[in-house]
Amino acid sequence: MAASSSNGFRVIGTRPIRHDGVDKVTGRAKYGADYAFPGMLHGKVLRSPHPHANIKSIKIDKALALPGVKAIVTSADLPALPDKMEAAGEQAINLNHLSMNILARGKALYDGHPIAAVAATSPHIADEALRLIEVEYELLPPVMTVEDAMKPGATILLPSLRNKEDGPDKETNVAAHLQFKRGDVAEGFKQADYVIEREFKTAMVHQGYIEPHNAVGIYNADGHATIYCSTQGSFVVRALSAAVLGIAEGKIKVVPAEIGGGFGGKTTIYLEPLSVLLSQKTGHPVKLTMTRAEVLRATGPTSGSTIRCKMGATKDGKLVAAQCWLAYEAGAFPGSPVGAGAMTIVAPYNIPNILVDAYDVVVNRPKTAAYRAPGASNAAMASETVLDELAEKCGIDPLEMRLMNGSEEGTPQTVGPPFKRIGFKETVEAIKNSPHYKSKLTGANRGRGVASGFWFNVGLQSSATVNIHTDGTVSVVIGSVDIGGTRAAQAMIAAEVLGVDINDVRPTIADTDSIGHTDVTGGSRTCFATGWAVYEAAQDCVRQLKERAAKLWEKKPDEVVFENGMLSPAQPGGELKPMSIKQIASRLARTGGPIVGRATVNARGVGPAFATVCVDVEVDPDTGKTQILRATIAQDAGKAIHPSYVEGQMQGGMAQGLGWGLNEEYFYDDRGILRNTGLLDYRMPTCLDLPAIETAIVEVPTPGHPLGIRGVGEVSIVPPPAALANAIYHAVGVRMTELPMSPPRLLKAILKKRAAGEAQAAAAD
Amino acid sequence: MKQFAVVAPADLASATRMLAEPNRSALAGGVDLLDMLKQELAAPAELVNLKALGGLDRIESVPGGVLRIGPLVTLNQLAAAPAVRERHPALADSAAQAATPQVRNLATVGGNLAQRPRCWYFRNPDIVCLKKGGTKCYAVAGLNRYHAILGGGPSFIVHPSNLAPALIACDASLALNGPDGERKIAVGDFFTSPKVDPRRENVLKPGEIIAAIEVPAPPTGARSAYLEAREKQSFDWPLAAAVAILALNRAGEVVHARIVMGAVAPIPWRAPSAEKILLGAKLDRALADRAAEAALAGAAPLAHNAYKIPIARAMVRRAILRAGGVADEPA
Repeated sequence: MAASSSNGFRVIGTRPIRHDGVDKVTGRAKYGADYAFPGMLHGKVLRSPHPHANIKSIKIDKALALPGVKAIVTSADLPALPDKMEAAGEQAINLNHLSMNILARGKALYDGHPIAAVAATSPHIADEALRLIEVEYELLPPVMTVEDAMKPGATILLPSLRNKEDGPDKETNVAAHLQFKRGDVAEGFKQADYVIEREFKTAMVHQGYIEPHNAVGIYNADGHATIYCSTQGSFVVRALSAAVLGIAEGKIKVVPAEIGGGFGGKTTIYLEPLSVLLSQKTGHPVKLTMTRAEVLRATGPTSGSTIRCKMGATKDGKLVAAQCWLAYEAGAFPGSPVGAGAMTIVAPYNIPNILVDAYDVVVNRPKTAAYRAPGASNAAMASETVLDELAEKCGIDPLEMRLMNGSEEGTPQTVGPPFKRIGFKETVEAIKNSPHYKSKLTGANRGRGVASGFWFNVGLQSSATVNIHTDGTVSVVIGSVDIGGTRAAQAMIAAEVLGVDINDVRPTIADTDSIGHTDVTGGSRTCFATGWAVYEAAQDCVRQLKERAAKLWEKKPDEVVFENGMLSPAQPGGELKPMSIKQIASRLARTGGPIVGRATVNARGVGPAFATVCVDVEVDPDTGKTQILRATIAQDAGKAIHPSYVEGQMQGGMAQGLGWGLNEEYFYDDRGILRNTGLLDYRMPTCLDLPAIETAIVEVPTPGHPLGIRGVGEVSIVPPPAALANAIYHAVGVRMTELPMSPPRLLKAILKKRAAGEAQAAAAD
Repeated sequence: MKQFAVVAPADLASATRMLAEPNRSALAGGVDLLDMLKQELAAPAELVNLKALGGLDRIESVPGGVLRIGPLVTLNQLAAAPAVRERHPALADSAAQAATPQVRNLATVGGNLAQRPRCWYFRNPDIVCLKKGGTKCYAVAGLNRYHAILGGGPSFIVHPSNLAPALIACDASLALNGPDGERKIAVGDFFTSPKVDPRRENVLKPGEIIAAIEVPAPPTGARSAYLEAREKQSFDWPLAAAVAILALNRAGEVVHARIVMGAVAPIPWRAPSAEKILLGAKLDRALADRAAEAALAGAAPLAHNAYKIPIARAMVRRAILRAGGVADEPA
């Protein structure tokens, strides 16, 4: 199908079938765990059953003696790395912490922390060997919450951790304190007629990618290594694995497999260096795959948090001041997304006076990893429900309140510089005009809530190659893996520029040796930045095609016009007939050889993303159960390349945000052990739990981008928890300040309100 | 997972003989068993595949209005069977609300009754709890949000069967077939309190299997309802479930009452005190409230599960009102 799209594009904006679709639905697509090599061994990881313990000794003799066991590694097999921020590839990271998360060094810091890894001839033998490894632990008190970790005299997780504020002599669990300030909040609150201040707690949650982490490592006798794995960034895996292993980056090749979901959680490394280390020790390829329990215990999650949010407005609804305090669980090592939380919490609004304090706090939980707009959903839960309350006080429709105060071009961002052209208010208008918001919600215990969200998006580096083949078909080679329609979107951009049929373009995702450096798929950057590179590489092809046509026609390149896939002389008339790409492709040998278009970008001028959502719920006041009746999201995509995949990103992020809001939660018991280590007890929504999510794509092009693209991957997860909380309030009159708003928690709030109502009635009697 | 062999018995007698050998497990739908194997909570040397036996996957009407349900009937089959829907709608609903369509296509009625509990301490291979021969129930001092509020101790699991409360309310019985022949017991007597033996949930002896489930005709005029409260819309175990089967006379008085709760106790939990309040009285909302109060009167919550009491109470009240055809009112 190639029904032509509106606003001047031929391919962009249409909905062709994705190139990887058939392989994926027929089971032919190769995911990380599908790789197998002759002589391959199977690895398993021994994990700490304690959340906080000194490791006194690790005895491996008995395990090594088990027939079939080929090697066992511990942190003693990894090089010691400097305990400071260092460059690894393109990012700055504390390599010591990274290495200590791969294999515990001296201390186990969370339930599930890797202690050792085994390679054996079968996964069952490797499992058996884990039981024969003897680890002597000295138990330490677990520190599970930011409150406990920040208390004076708290048990210390990382003895070398310091922060600037407390100085070089003070042991601490607070890795960083950030502050953002504008105007004078004290003065601002003086102007306010209404001030709302609330404290929020949000639970640690997991990305919930269905495909567990995996890696096959093959170490060659010549010192080179190859890693096959499912990742969001093959170049990140290469750089980080090289650093942890002490191998030169260029000696590692990473082959990215198809990826069964990542959502940010596959932007770091866990098994990859272990697979190489075990392969190096045994001389065999070694494959490791995690179980679901390992995924939940030791990868991913995003921070649980405590947030205090105070906002003030004048009677007529003008926001005048906001003061926020955020503390996020980093997990066992520094690096929570609290900075992003701080910079997004009031970003959608033009507020003259703000003061935001943010704390990155280590606790005995798994090291957090990125999760779709990391840190922003927690923050929006606080600010977007406080805003709803303010709108109610002011007697203003919550969408109008957002339009009155909304950020637009020129509004200063939390970090200072003003926004360029953004589409925030357009998303609010789109919800206002949606069939959903225009419909009337009736019935007992039903309520409607709205909320908005902001995410920065990033640009970063991408490379692309576009090849014109002798039959006129085109291959597009990129280094970004396919999450949510990457191949289709990139092929569409090339097809648009080259004027060829989308089915004549074949997109390929290359390994790290076969394409130029490409940064991780994160920050909603792939369509924006890799798409930009593909656009430029295709333009490079056009330039070369014109040169070749000029040669054939004995003209100058600027005397050739390229339009809709046809090359023609600039001056019409004469003998020369226009040529299609197919026609010229077969004659490339005679004009100088093959055509390869190349481009690299370090994309600047990224367009921030905004979304606004509307949710209808019905609450059962006897059980505390919330059912979502209807949900709609409006999001600014800049320019939707493949609208189906844009809608997919909007719906997917919203589904995750709704799960975060209603059910998802890590349950640690008072000993610091994770109790819900499977998807039956970690409650993610499925398609049976949610209504079909309605979408409205808003297109406010990003200035400077050749196609106006804005990243669409993340912001959709930001508003849903707050929108749910607002809807629940309008349904049953309780303001929820804790996530998830699961039946036990919501029922407690409803019963408390009912008891208060009865007490009041009794007092009145 | 440990290696095992799957064997196909020729007939029921050889199946029970095979199962009487040590270290054997019966394989039916395999839903819970595979979980147990993967988590190494069970490591049988042989799985005796009951699906090799013919005729155990049928629902038959036998004279006297009795429905004879084969143990290999799937939950979807049970939920969709016209005879079950017409005579025992609560039973059909209890099957229809379990898990997901995919699971209901595999899971069997026999497996649903004989499955092991979902307790996350029991399911953790690193924990040797009371149910696995250890000395304590870790739920007592641990995270007991999903544990028993009634009949607990020394183990505080809740029985996971969706079907059991409805079968008990229907006065159903089980034919158990073992090496020593067949015996028949009421479904209510099939389940074992942890006070008797915390290591098991039922009375099946080595080699014994559930050969049939027999559901008698409902009393004249009886109507039934099954309700469960879950955290999610689907694919979730109930926080509490309730079945009510009531028959009313012309005066609107209750002449037959069965109230059974699920997911609140280590065994399906019948509430005779609630039934007593209902019997002979005229059904209205106040009566339903009193019966629901009585059903939960003995509840003894642990540190994290008191929230289940009002939820269970609501389920009982609503099930009574629905079965009795009295409109509920939002609280």
